[in-house]
Amino acid sequence: MTLQTQNIWNGRIGTVTIGADRAHGGTRTLQYTLGGEQDLAAVGPGATQQRPLIAAEICDDPGIWSPIVNTFMGDTVNDTAGWAGTMESEYHPDIVRLHLTSTRKRNFKDFSGIPETVSGVLKSTGLPLIIEGSNDPSIDSEVYQKCGEASSGERVLLGTAEAGRYRSIAAAAMAYNHCIIAQSPIDINLAKQLNILLKEIGVPYDRILIDPYTGALGYGFEYSYSVMERIRYAALKGDQDLAMTMISAAPDSLNIREVREARDDETDRTAATWEFYTAFSAVIAGASIVCVRHPLAIPLLKSAIDSIWPHSAGREA
Amino acid sequence: MALKALDIYKLLPKKNCKECGDPTCLTFAMKLASGKGDIEKCPYLDDHAKSVLGASTKPPVRKIKIGVGERAFVVGEEFVQFRHEKTFYHPPGIMVSVSDTQTKPEIEQIVTNVRDYVLTRIGMDLRLNGIAIRNDSNNPEQFGTAVSYAEGCADLPVVLMAGTLAAAEAGLHECGNYRPIVHCATRENYREYCSLTKKSGAVLAIRAGTPDEMAELSTLCTEAGQDALLLDLSSRSLRQFINDSTIIRQHAITRTTPSLGYPVFYDATIPDNADAALVLGILKYGAVIVIGPPTRPSEKALLTLRQNIYTDPQKPIQMTAGLYRVGNPGKDAPVLMTVNFSLTYFTLQGYLESSRVSCYMLIVDTEGLSVLTAVAAGKLNETMVRDAIKKYGVENEVSHRTLIIPGYASPLSGRIEEETGWKVLVGPRDAAEIGEYLETEWKA
Amino acid sequence: MPTVTFLPGFRKVVAEPGSTILEAAQKAGLHMNVVCGAQGKCGKCSVYVKSGTFDFDREKYGTFFSAEDLDSGACLACQAYVTDDISVFIPENSIIQEQKILIEALGLETVFNPAVWKYYLELAPPTLDDPSPDLSRLLFGIEKYGGPKEGMIYVPLEVIRRIPKVMRDSGWKITATVTLVPGGYRLIDVEKGNTLDRIYGVAVDLGTTTVVVYLRSLVNGEVLGVASNYNHQISCGEDILSRVNYARKGGLQKLQKLAVDSINTAITSAANVAGIDREDIYEVVVAGNTIMTHILMEIDPAYMIEEPYVPVVRRYLTSAARRVGLEVQEDAGIFIFPAVSDYIGGDIVADILASGMAESEDVSLLIDIGTNFEVVLGNRDWMFSCAGAAGPALEGGEVRFGMRANPGAIEQISLDLVSLTPAYRTINHTRPKGICGSGLIDLLAELLRACIIDRTGRINTQIAHERIRYGTRFPEFVIAWKDDTDIGKDIVITENDIKNLIMSKASVLAACSTLMNQAGISRDEISHIYFSGAFGNYINKENAIIIGLIPEVPGERISTIGNGAIEGANIALLNRKKRKELDEIAKRIAYIELNAEPSFMDEYTKSTFLPHTDLSLFPMVEEMLNECRIRRG
Repeated sequence: MTLQTQNIWNGRIGTVTIGADRAHGGTRTLQYTLGGEQDLAAVGPGATQQRPLIAAEICDDPGIWSPIVNTFMGDTVNDTAGWAGTMESEYHPDIVRLHLTSTRKRNFKDFSGIPETVSGVLKSTGLPLIIEGSNDPSIDSEVYQKCGEASSGERVLLGTAEAGRYRSIAAAAMAYNHCIIAQSPIDINLAKQLNILLKEIGVPYDRILIDPYTGALGYGFEYSYSVMERIRYAALKGDQDLAMTMISAAPDSLNIREVREARDDETDRTAATWEFYTAFSAVIAGASIVCVRHPLAIPLLKSAIDSIWPHSAGREA
Repeated sequence: MALKALDIYKLLPKKNCKECGDPTCLTFAMKLASGKGDIEKCPYLDDHAKSVLGASTKPPVRKIKIGVGERAFVVGEEFVQFRHEKTFYHPPGIMVSVSDTQTKPEIEQIVTNVRDYVLTRIGMDLRLNGIAIRNDSNNPEQFGTAVSYAEGCADLPVVLMAGTLAAAEAGLHECGNYRPIVHCATRENYREYCSLTKKSGAVLAIRAGTPDEMAELSTLCTEAGQDALLLDLSSRSLRQFINDSTIIRQHAITRTTPSLGYPVFYDATIPDNADAALVLGILKYGAVIVIGPPTRPSEKALLTLRQNIYTDPQKPIQMTAGLYRVGNPGKDAPVLMTVNFSLTYFTLQGYLESSRVSCYMLIVDTEGLSVLTAVAAGKLNETMVRDAIKKYGVENEVSHRTLIIPGYASPLSGRIEEETGWKVLVGPRDAAEIGEYLETEWKA
Repeated sequence: MPTVTFLPGFRKVVAEPGSTILEAAQKAGLHMNVVCGAQGKCGKCSVYVKSGTFDFDREKYGTFFSAEDLDSGACLACQAYVTDDISVFIPENSIIQEQKILIEALGLETVFNPAVWKYYLELAPPTLDDPSPDLSRLLFGIEKYGGPKEGMIYVPLEVIRRIPKVMRDSGWKITATVTLVPGGYRLIDVEKGNTLDRIYGVAVDLGTTTVVVYLRSLVNGEVLGVASNYNHQISCGEDILSRVNYARKGGLQKLQKLAVDSINTAITSAANVAGIDREDIYEVVVAGNTIMTHILMEIDPAYMIEEPYVPVVRRYLTSAARRVGLEVQEDAGIFIFPAVSDYIGGDIVADILASGMAESEDVSLLIDIGTNFEVVLGNRDWMFSCAGAAGPALEGGEVRFGMRANPGAIEQISLDLVSLTPAYRTINHTRPKGICGSGLIDLLAELLRACIIDRTGRINTQIAHERIRYGTRFPEFVIAWKDDTDIGKDIVITENDIKNLIMSKASVLAACSTLMNQAGISRDEISHIYFSGAFGNYINKENAIIIGLIPEVPGERISTIGNGAIEGANIALLNRKKRKELDEIAKRIAYIELNAEPSFMDEYTKSTFLPHTDLSLFPMVEEMLNECRIRRG
């Protein structure tokens, strides 16, 4: 007799493809198909397991970005495209996540600047892209339209749809063949509801990633961790409305007291460690993409993920 | 597994005799179903009912106490695979390893750090738990000496990573009465280890290569009279550990393999990636985890992660409602209202501190719900804001009458203005933007 | 002292200087709308001061009016203070209107076995040979006429004092009234001659909003008169919590008096209809929520609304009706229904009695919806109950054009799914003034059907249609254009209104689900859903399921028991055996505190979707939604 795990699953995580290489009409050097898992993360035979991906976060206006990252990166943060390129060549993430923080300014009007930023980043890195658009419903429509258009053909992941504002982003994703991040505030039911809302306006499930919202370690992460576990569990139990891959980012990790107040010579190490503990736990809870901001968190995560998922199953060269 | 109140009720005598202290059998059944009742209180249960109910209320993972005195800790007594199903009860003991090849000052430095290091978070003192002494010298005498060094400077629980029976004996000689963990017995030598540890009341970690072998070995040990056991699968790879530990937990809680109903011992120094191993140990049912001396960043992160994972998920950590100061706010300092969900509070507080604008945070009791959820659930409303302003004397603290509310609470802005008579400014939805917001919007 | 003249009726009243117009109106017997409990929050008590000076803080409370209104004397009655002689015009909307109150002929089937009855005695006068005292003579007479044994009957002093004269004046032909009391019997009246047919009882539903009274003959159980009116306490606050707060601020006695007044008024009109004398009413049975019955008995209700939420008394109460202030026969008894908890009161126990669910093997779900809701799940072996706040939305509160079920309220509505034109019916067929609860449920279901709102209730503003527009703060849908209404304004429903409605309905559904989970009962196992109360009687059952107010079960399993409280009170009045059962039922019901139930919040969030996050629990609705989507393309 060999003792096995006893969970009885009757569902699997749906798949989603991010990035489009030349063979698929884009210009990315590689693309990923995520999902397909039939068990808990890292549990069961390895063949059904996709390797989780690491996304490096950058932005186009470092004004509201973490000063720790800004200091670490120096002038690079003022050149969005250059920043993306540096991340790829020096830290080797799997994905670049571009936050259009410039749109957060009050009375933002510079819509024509968006395509410029996006195509700059697309040129400087060959990695698949996540683009975070507006945070304000009144400019959503225009921002997402521009994001979608500028990255047309690249099958980017557009963020972020919420229950109160999902129509504009869905329209852009459908028009330009992109995927969507669907974010809900740390609640499995709200996550499910948003997926249903998207489905009901015609967004297919293989275009949606769930972002259950991740609180920083020590600042609500426990809720996020359990919500991710619950979503994965429900999906494996056959709930189609939750059977999407998950993306986790703890945007506040670098602003919490423990990181801010670390000794000067330990600041970067603390920042990276904190992001690592959070992101790696998220991976174990079931996240397929984890996002970090401090470049030094990337090698830590890579090493840990590699030791569990030695093969690069997610990649399609 | 978990029985519904009505299922339990059907097994009860339905006499409503009140002898259990509850007014009716149904309310007693509800208590049992929620894990708060004690079946022994019902004098009229037949054996069948007792066996059904008893089996579902006794902890499937054995409770084991490690160490003595103030720093002793308890592991095991767990009921679920996922913390959201109920909660994880006993956080793992983190044991920092020293080698018997190290010098006395080296050992003492590590032990002192474990003894003294405290991280205080949300009103809780978080500490590392104990010391694991490793027999690297392969010399029982030297091992015993190293144990005496560790024992000499702190009353901490210890793991004797003895490797041999002779070393274990030498170690126990130093700390045998302090309920240490002896690591580790195998199929080959379990009899000797069992009698050795039983004699001194020590806890025995046992090691086997697979869950099957572990189940057998643990049965043998209990037959040999030792049932204070920890299970060490000595998993080489991280993946192996996740799988093994998951199997053990499941078989224990479903009571399908009761011999696996013991806490898990995990030596996180074996895999290459120490931080990753430690994270897995905490997340995946490790009960006693051995680590190397942690760096300061790791130390904080691991204690925080452990606190997070072992927080009761059904009880949101709530802040006490009230008026909190950030910096040294004066009469003209801004007042920011938000909810008492600790995540919200600490996040906002963090950004406010980094913005270096002194201000007041007015925390309203939303039963620990976030702004978004509280607004949606009607747990945050204008009268609560009004009452909070009155109750916490905000009007005496500041000379202005302007309140900044979270972006997600914007639907309430008009009603708050009407109710409080204060001018309401809608702040950003994202706390990260608060610094910039205050800079541009507040100087009014 | 200033005189206040109320128009249009020219009712005059002398008011204390510094009292509010509202207080003056109450004194004049005019019952005004004060949804917020006179806190100046709801704007429902608008009046126009036509002449004279008064104090009113326009800055603070003027937001309810246009500048034009303010210039013509508009103010809130609850916030306007009388300083001088004034005349005040009260618009129709500000007066509590005759509401649709649920009174129907009851098809009661219960054994007739009242707790009070009469004996007509023809006694032999005393002689020297038979010098036994008057009282013994009387009591032996009762025993001889088949009544209880002499030693079992307690006789109050007041009655003893009347005996000698009554006996002698009537030539020893008297009627004695005996009632059942704990541990025996009590002689409560002696009358001259034969009055056997003059014995009546009253069943009372003491609601937070309304009081309903049934007057019955206790000779044969026949209904002789029915009356209802508002609970006069409304002037001290509309919802139950504001009443408790009023009581806490030293207003318990006033509330008690208002409660008794309300019942007395109703009894008087029922007695007038029946043409009987109130002095012949020998028993009053009252079912009400726990707070109302506490107040009626002048027992402090304050401890019920603070932790740990304990009522003073749970079991049934009996006392003398006169001690409470009821104007009925001097020694008449009063019987108050027992409660389960602070929130599950005697009204719900009465509902259970009326539904018969406590006698059936089938599992039933009983739902009573008002501002608060109560849910009971169970059968004759077990019962779970819970209660919660549904918010006022389902009763028309917190909804911009929401109103109670008064004339002019849209009570039914449907939308043409192509043109989106609404068709509606108002109470009394007048032009619409607003929408009441049943109309709101219809509307929500129709908006969903027409895909105007998504399943979170958000309006799809991308639909180009004149009825879908941005209001001042929220997107809204126009139900009636101003020219078609009675209020000169477009009647709309806003996204915020919809959100409030969904929150209300989610509380009710989540409460049902929580009880079902606790019991391990699936929706298929529910044989009956009983709606109790006025609200349940008028709503469209199908639409209630479509929006997910209640679990989906086949329509034929849903029934309304009308005003279960009055029905239960009637049963207990006519059949004293049932009273013992009441305590048993009340004790048997397990109360689940939703706030302490971790799964409730989860169920609530699942239910904040139309009809529910998990459509497989609503197969009929799922089918309907699919059809709607196909139709819209």
